[in-house]
Amino acid sequence: MENAGYLFAAFAIIWAVVFGYVLFVFNRQRKLRREIDSLKEALKGKEVEQ
Amino acid sequence: MSFWHKVVVITWKDTLSEMRTREIVFSVLVFTLLVIVTFNFAFGASQEMMALVAPGILWVTFAFAGVLSLNRSFIMEKEEGCLEGLMVCPISREVIYVGKMLGSLLFMLIIEVIALPIFAFLFNLEVLSPQLVVITVLTTIGFVAVGTLFSALAVNTKAREMVLPILFLPIVVPLIICAVKASGLALSGESWGGLSSWLQIIGAFDAIFLVVSFFIFAFVIEE
Amino acid sequence: MKRKILLGVSALKMVASLYLVFLYVPTEEAMGIVQRIFYFHVPVAWVAFLAFFIVFLGSILYLWKKDSKWDVIASSSAEVGVVFATLLLITGSIWAKPIWGVWWTWEPRLTTALVLWLIYIAYLIVRSFATEESRGARFAAVVGIVGFIDVPIVALAITLWRTQHPGPVIFQGGLTPPMLLTLLICISAFTTLYLLLLMQRISMKNDEIEIRRLKELCR
Repeated sequence: MENAGYLFAAFAIIWAVVFGYVLFVFNRQRKLRREIDSLKEALKGKEVEQ
Repeated sequence: MSFWHKVVVITWKDTLSEMRTREIVFSVLVFTLLVIVTFNFAFGASQEMMALVAPGILWVTFAFAGVLSLNRSFIMEKEEGCLEGLMVCPISREVIYVGKMLGSLLFMLIIEVIALPIFAFLFNLEVLSPQLVVITVLTTIGFVAVGTLFSALAVNTKAREMVLPILFLPIVVPLIICAVKASGLALSGESWGGLSSWLQIIGAFDAIFLVVSFFIFAFVIEE
Repeated sequence: MKRKILLGVSALKMVASLYLVFLYVPTEEAMGIVQRIFYFHVPVAWVAFLAFFIVFLGSILYLWKKDSKWDVIASSSAEVGVVFATLLLITGSIWAKPIWGVWWTWEPRLTTALVLWLIYIAYLIVRSFATEESRGARFAAVVGIVGFIDVPIVALAITLWRTQHPGPVIFQGGLTPPMLLTLLICISAFTTLYLLLLMQRISMKNDEIEIRRLKELCR
């Protein structure tokens, strides 16, 4: 089982990066959606005032 | 005025302004000399070692000198507001591209014509073979074809001079590889046959990127 | 909803790939178990180039149609692509060490991967260096087009250079059916992953544009 360390390292890095990127992207997406919703609320509030 | 007539006007304008100030050619020449001499000391004195590293040194020198001269040619335009002036003229963008490109080509060739004999003298190498001349000319054409496009782009960015090397040296990597390899072969007396595949790649690069840059240039200098 | 399905499919394919790579495929003789990196390294390379191809198409369409949605596609693909290009370099290097004994070697595939990575970086940098956004988009498109055309020439030049200096070779022998199956499933898994990430990035960019627009209206 020589070189098992390298095999592990390569897969670990791929997984960490891919997983981390997917998490990052889905999280940012959720935050952006929330911001859009709150802005739309604020906008509706302004229209009601006028 | 025909297309080529306008192109020559632009090239001539650049040449004239350069002849009056001699800014670019002198500074680049001094730079080239400095690099050659420094590398000479860095790599030690054995003749075999010199023959091995000479092509690499030559082309690294030319590449950096080329970046310097490309940078300066567009920066002067930007600073004097000439670029806007050129764009207001009733000429197509392509004319500007070809005119500028031929101007840069001329400068680089002049630099190379002066640097090569110095190189031969310092490195003790047979440099005036027709093979080497053809390699140099072809590679310079490719260099300038892409370089003019990217230098017009670089001049319009916040970081200006620094952007050009990052942007375009990776793109000309194949040119430099082929030029170095072919120059090495030419210096060791190889005939045209051995050089053909390298020259083909350089030639293909030139043809492809002359066309591509010609058509894309307009997008780079539009406001 | 569609996105969630895609995420599920992607995860499933990944799990399937892991099973195939670690439990199904037999060990290759010459290189031992390290060779299994191949089953992820090749798909990563494939995605890095596919992403750049999308950057290329998006760039052409953007310059031609002047519709910013093409620029959104191109830049999103570039951001996802650079991640894969980085992974390509890293896995290539990790694979090289036990096989050839060095972390880096100037052989055609690795060197082309490096140049591809540099061009990706140039694409992303040029955006931030431009004076306005629309100019940045146009400049990036130029880099995308020139860069994509350049990469095959780079590969050709380096390969020619290498045939004069034969160096390390990837590996002899063809692919047995189980190896081929594993490879294909892995490629499919990574391609799905790429599409997922691309679509997410595109929605994110569109959301950012929407937010800016709404903020303007709120003034």
